[in-house]
Amino acid sequence: MLKRNTALRNDLTGYAFISPFVIGFLAFTLIPMFISLYLSFTSYNLFSAPRWIGLDNFVKMFTGDPKYMNSLRVTFLYVFVGVPLRLMFALFIAMLLNNGSRLIGTYRTLFYLPSIIGGSVAVSIMWRNIFGSEGIVNSALIAIGLGPVSWFGDPNAALGMLVTLSVWQFGSSMLIFLAGLKNISPEMYEAAGVDGAGPARRFFRITLPLLSPIILFNLIMQTISAFMTFVPAYIISKGEGGPMDGTMLYSLYLFRQAFMFNNMGYASAMAWVMLIIVGIMTAVLFFVSKYWVFYESEGGR
Amino acid sequence: MKRRMLGLLAAVTLASTALSACSSGNDAPAGGSADDPVSLRIAWWGSDSRHAYTQQVIDLYTSKHPNVKIDVEYASFDDYWKKLAPQAAAKQLPDIVQMDISYISQYAKNGQLAELEPYLNNQIQVGDVSESVLGTGLLGGKQYGIPIGVNVLGFHYDPELLKKGGIDSIPADWTWEKYEEMARQTGSKGLYFDSGFAPDIFFNYYLRTKGETLYNEEGNALGYDDDKLFTDFFRIQADLVKEKALRSPDYLNQIKGVLEESDLVKGTGIGVFQWSNQFVGLQKAAARPLALAPMMGPDMEKGIYMQPSMYWAITNNSKAKEEAAKFIDFWVNDVEANKIIKGERGVPISSAIKEAIAGELDEPVKQVFDFVSEMEPKASPMSPPPPTGSPEVIAALADLIEELNFGRITPEQAAASFRKTASEVLAANK
Repeated sequence: MLKRNTALRNDLTGYAFISPFVIGFLAFTLIPMFISLYLSFTSYNLFSAPRWIGLDNFVKMFTGDPKYMNSLRVTFLYVFVGVPLRLMFALFIAMLLNNGSRLIGTYRTLFYLPSIIGGSVAVSIMWRNIFGSEGIVNSALIAIGLGPVSWFGDPNAALGMLVTLSVWQFGSSMLIFLAGLKNISPEMYEAAGVDGAGPARRFFRITLPLLSPIILFNLIMQTISAFMTFVPAYIISKGEGGPMDGTMLYSLYLFRQAFMFNNMGYASAMAWVMLIIVGIMTAVLFFVSKYWVFYESEGGR
Repeated sequence: MKRRMLGLLAAVTLASTALSACSSGNDAPAGGSADDPVSLRIAWWGSDSRHAYTQQVIDLYTSKHPNVKIDVEYASFDDYWKKLAPQAAAKQLPDIVQMDISYISQYAKNGQLAELEPYLNNQIQVGDVSESVLGTGLLGGKQYGIPIGVNVLGFHYDPELLKKGGIDSIPADWTWEKYEEMARQTGSKGLYFDSGFAPDIFFNYYLRTKGETLYNEEGNALGYDDDKLFTDFFRIQADLVKEKALRSPDYLNQIKGVLEESDLVKGTGIGVFQWSNQFVGLQKAAARPLALAPMMGPDMEKGIYMQPSMYWAITNNSKAKEEAAKFIDFWVNDVEANKIIKGERGVPISSAIKEAIAGELDEPVKQVFDFVSEMEPKASPMSPPPPTGSPEVIAALADLIEELNFGRITPEQAAASFRKTASEVLAANK
């Protein structure tokens, strides 16, 4: 009896310690999630009570809303172009930094800075100016004879502008890559060097395979966060997703439906579809990873 | 050891209850008799200068009524509505909210706004307000808002630049054809005649001159049947953009919302089509003498109307409606307050106030007052406020017009597409 009492008390202590998380999780994540699941089957404008409409929101999304399909297209384009570019860039910088220079700490901080401030409003505004018709990017393009690009007139160019902003925020992936690179033992490179392997061969035969678990990790994290990108699109297009819906990312369209048009039910449905899409993407990445990720501890395949 | 654990547990539980208590702790008691302490919340949208002088008016009010404490919430127009909607859902709206004509029906129909009938000529004196102006706050025959000021559409321009563009003056009875001609003429001299039309506002104006409206009376469908009206109107600017007589939407996208970057301020554009209350801000940014001209016709008189620039409304969840009404009265009828406001929210609705502050006005404000007084007898009654769902309709229209001005779609395609989208959205009001 006494023993059981002690066990209970120990359990309670444990619960007490995790209660800040549990309460926060319930209040701010789980309960709102279930409410949004319910709302996704309703028509709800914030003012009057939600009205149950079954699957109508989902049907409308895929059959009667060209703007929605466009936002999907734009988002996929943004993710599939932006994420690989960002990872390549991050890996490139990480390899440059992996040379034992004494200033490495400084460089690491400097290169990480854009990731900290990159999502901020000020930077997005700066981005607007850099890409303005008389901005530095167009001046540079003219100087090398490529002529100005209408960054705010051409939907694809505008999306390109968003992608460059996302590539520029490569810091966190870079840090993780850097840690991974430091874990590859120098003997491997030495041995390969003795066998006559050049830098390219060393990169493809040693660095990439040994780094592949880290690439997978970065790929998944960056893909998920890219799907949820909101602030840059919102600021650069002044909340309208323009020009001609070229920067109408999924989350921006969701935001407009929810907070500009007060279609909360429809927006909730969109959020759930987004969750499913991200889930599927992650599952696919994990499944495909069998074929290209190399785990040293398992002795290869 | 055990005891310490228990203490910790208690502390955690306590902390969490304290946390939940916080969230319900801001319903300050309010109301009651005249001298009981009252706290009011008031919210508006606007620019920095508006925030500053509104705070001055509030300070003036609280200095005269020491028992009243007023908390303020303000934001830019877009952010304002994003903040207000969740507050409405949570029944946490401020006591007094500034309402826009495109949102007031949504808030009133959903029971968020209090009927103001009982306060008229009790707390809020409206003896000096003309019936037609006060009537703009009526929805379905009930008073939900007190207009703060009235506006009228017009063309605000720089006479010097107009001359430089080869035109001596805006003709008194100018027409759309004349406008096109003038825009081409100044465009050829490198001066942009105007910066485009806000699609919903000016399309509605155009429709009114033809005896139609954008929305029907019930607000559940479009008010015009003939898409030729749509194509006729939007073709005008689309053509001018194509001929480079007007700025491309590409450029306008970049400078959107930044007055200092506009062509008129930079001296590369002649004028702007907009509401009269936007004149003063524009003049300040340009720092040159500007002038106002009426809209082009034919049938300008049928098209223009005195539009409330915005309303004050009292919300239903306010616990101090009478005190809120007193503040609105102060805003409408106090001379001292209006000397601070100086008609920034539109020409005051009270004729007594209009006279009392006339001598105090700066030149540009006086220009606006004169222009509005000149237009008032000519104007026709306002159409009913835009229905619920109108923000979505307006956004759809703006998107289509952007595509049209980029030359991606034809006016006919835009007209058909707009009719389809708008009808779907508005059908929800049936």
